[in-house]
Amino acid sequence: MRRILSSLTDGKGFDLLLVGITLIFLILLAGLPLVYNVLLSFQEVDMFNLAAFSRPWAGLDNYREIVSQPEFGLVMRNTGIFVFGSIAGQFAFGFALAIFFMAKFPFASTIRGLFLVSWVMPGLVVGAIWGWILAGDFGVLNAVLQGLGIIDETMFWKSDPALSIWAVTMANIWLGLAFNMMLLSVGLAAIPRDLYEAAELDGANGFQRFTTITVPMMRSTIGAVLALGLIYTLQQFDLFPAITEGGPANSSNVAQYWAWQWSFRIFDFAKGATVSVMMLAFVLIASAVYVWSTRAEVRG
Amino acid sequence: MTRAPVPYLLLVLALGLAALYLFPLYWMYVTSLKGGSEIFASPPTFWPRDPDPSIYPETWARRDMSVYLWNSFVIGSGVTALTVLLGTGCAYVLARYRSAWIDVALFVILMLQVLPASVMITPIYVGFNQLGLLDYPRFAVILATAAKAMPFYIVLVRATFMNVPRELEEAALVDGNSRWGAFFFIVLPLARNGILVLAILTFMQAFGEYIYSKSIITTPAYQPASVGLSGFLGPNSTDWNGIMAYAAIYVTPIVAIFVLLQRRIVAGLTSGALK
Repeated sequence: MRRILSSLTDGKGFDLLLVGITLIFLILLAGLPLVYNVLLSFQEVDMFNLAAFSRPWAGLDNYREIVSQPEFGLVMRNTGIFVFGSIAGQFAFGFALAIFFMAKFPFASTIRGLFLVSWVMPGLVVGAIWGWILAGDFGVLNAVLQGLGIIDETMFWKSDPALSIWAVTMANIWLGLAFNMMLLSVGLAAIPRDLYEAAELDGANGFQRFTTITVPMMRSTIGAVLALGLIYTLQQFDLFPAITEGGPANSSNVAQYWAWQWSFRIFDFAKGATVSVMMLAFVLIASAVYVWSTRAEVRG
Repeated sequence: MTRAPVPYLLLVLALGLAALYLFPLYWMYVTSLKGGSEIFASPPTFWPRDPDPSIYPETWARRDMSVYLWNSFVIGSGVTALTVLLGTGCAYVLARYRSAWIDVALFVILMLQVLPASVMITPIYVGFNQLGLLDYPRFAVILATAAKAMPFYIVLVRATFMNVPRELEEAALVDGNSRWGAFFFIVLPLARNGILVLAILTFMQAFGEYIYSKSIITTPAYQPASVGLSGFLGPNSTDWNGIMAYAAIYVTPIVAIFVLLQRRIVAGLTSGALK
C-alpha cells in the first residue's frame, strides 16, 4: 500500500494517474460512442426500444435503405460540392492572403490576426449573418453584385435549388478562410529567407520562386491544411440549420445534416447512425493523411 | 523614385482586405440599428438613416435572452472547467516523455479530435438516454462537449509544456519536492499563460456550441443562446433586425475578448506544433 502511495507522489503512478483519468474519460465519451454508432447502424431502432439494451438485429438493411432513398445521390453530390468547394475556396484565398501578409508593412501581424475573429464566432451566428447577406430580395450581396453589374436579375441564393448548396459553401469559405491563412502563414514563416535571395540572384522570377521554393518547402503544411480542411468541412453543421435547413427539397442537404435529420427529425436513430458510419470512412482517411503530415511536429 | 511609400500602400491594401473580410460583422451591427422598414430598402443603406438602439432591450426581453445567455455561460464554464481539470495533467505527461506508448496515446487523442459532432450525437444521445443522463440535460451537454474540446486542448497545451525547461523541474525534485509539488509550483506557473489562453478559447467554443444542446436539451429553460437563436431563424426569416440584434448581443462579448487578447490567442494557436 505504501509503495503504491509513494509511486503516486513520486513515480510512474503519478504519470499514469494523470494520463489514465483523461484517457478513460475520452474513451467513455468519444471512443465508446464511436463503436456504439457502428453497432446501431446494424440494429433496428425505434422510439419503443430506444431505451432498451437489446434490439432486433437488422443486418445490412439500414445500409440498403439509405442507399435506395431517392435523395441519396443528391445528398452525396451536395456533400462533394460542399467539401471540395469549401476546401478549394478556403485554401486558395487563404494562401493568397498568407503570402500577402508575409510582406513587411506596419501592423501586418495585427491586421492578419483580426481575420481570425470568424473562427471564434458561434457557427449559428455566422449562419444568421450570412442568411441575411444572401437573402434574395433584400440581401446585400445581390445589391452589391447588381451595383457592380455582375448580375442582372435577383439571385435567390437560399431558395433556388441550383444555388442553395453554393450559398452555404460561400458562408463556409468565409468561416474557414482565416484559419487556413493562419496555418499557411506559419508554414511560410518557416521557409529560410536566403533561399529566395539565392533564387533571385540566379534570376528566378516570382512565379518560378513560388513553384520551386514555396510549394516544395510547404509540402507537409499543405498536406496538413488540406486534410484539416476536409475534417473541419465534414464537421461543419451549424451553417445548415441557420441558412437553408438543407432545403429547398434537399438541394442543399449534406451527409452530416442528413444524418442528424434521420435521428432527430424522423427519430430513426439507426438510419442516422448508418449515414454517420458512411461519413466516418472519409473522415478517417483524412485524419490518417493529417496525422501522417504532421507526425514530425507532433512528436516534437 | 522613392521606396518609402510602398509599405504604406500595402498597409492601406491590408486594411481594405480586412474591412472586406469583416464586412459581415459590420453588417450585423448596422442591420440591428435600422428600423423595420429600412432593412427592406432597395438598394440597402450602408449606414442607418436614423440609428435606433431600442431594438436591443426589446429583443433582450422578448427573447428571454438572460435565461439563454446564462445557460450558455453555465455550459461554457462547465466545459472549460472539466477540460482544464482533466486535460492539463494529461498534456503535461505527454509533453514530458517520449516513448512508443506516448505516441500511441497521442495518436488516439488526435483521432478523437476529428470525429464530427453530427456523427457522435446519435450514439451519445441513445447512450445517455439509456443511462438516464438526459434528465440532467445541461450536465449531459457539458460531458459531450468537453469530450469534443479535450483533444484540441491537450495537443496545444502539450506544446506549451514542451517550452518549459526540464532543468527547472529537475532542480525542484532535487530540492526535495514531490512530483506533485514540482508540477503545481514550478511547471504550472511557467505554463500559466498558454493554459489561460487555451482555456479562454475552449470557453468561447463551448459558449457557441449548438448541435449537442439542440439535440439533448428540450426544455427551453435550460437551452443556450445558440438554440434560442435557431428558434426564430430559418430560410423564411423576415425579422432581420431582431435576429441581428440577438446575434450582436450574443457575439459582442466573444469579439471583445478576442480583440483584447488577439495577439496571445494567435500566438497560442501558432506556437503549438499543430493546430
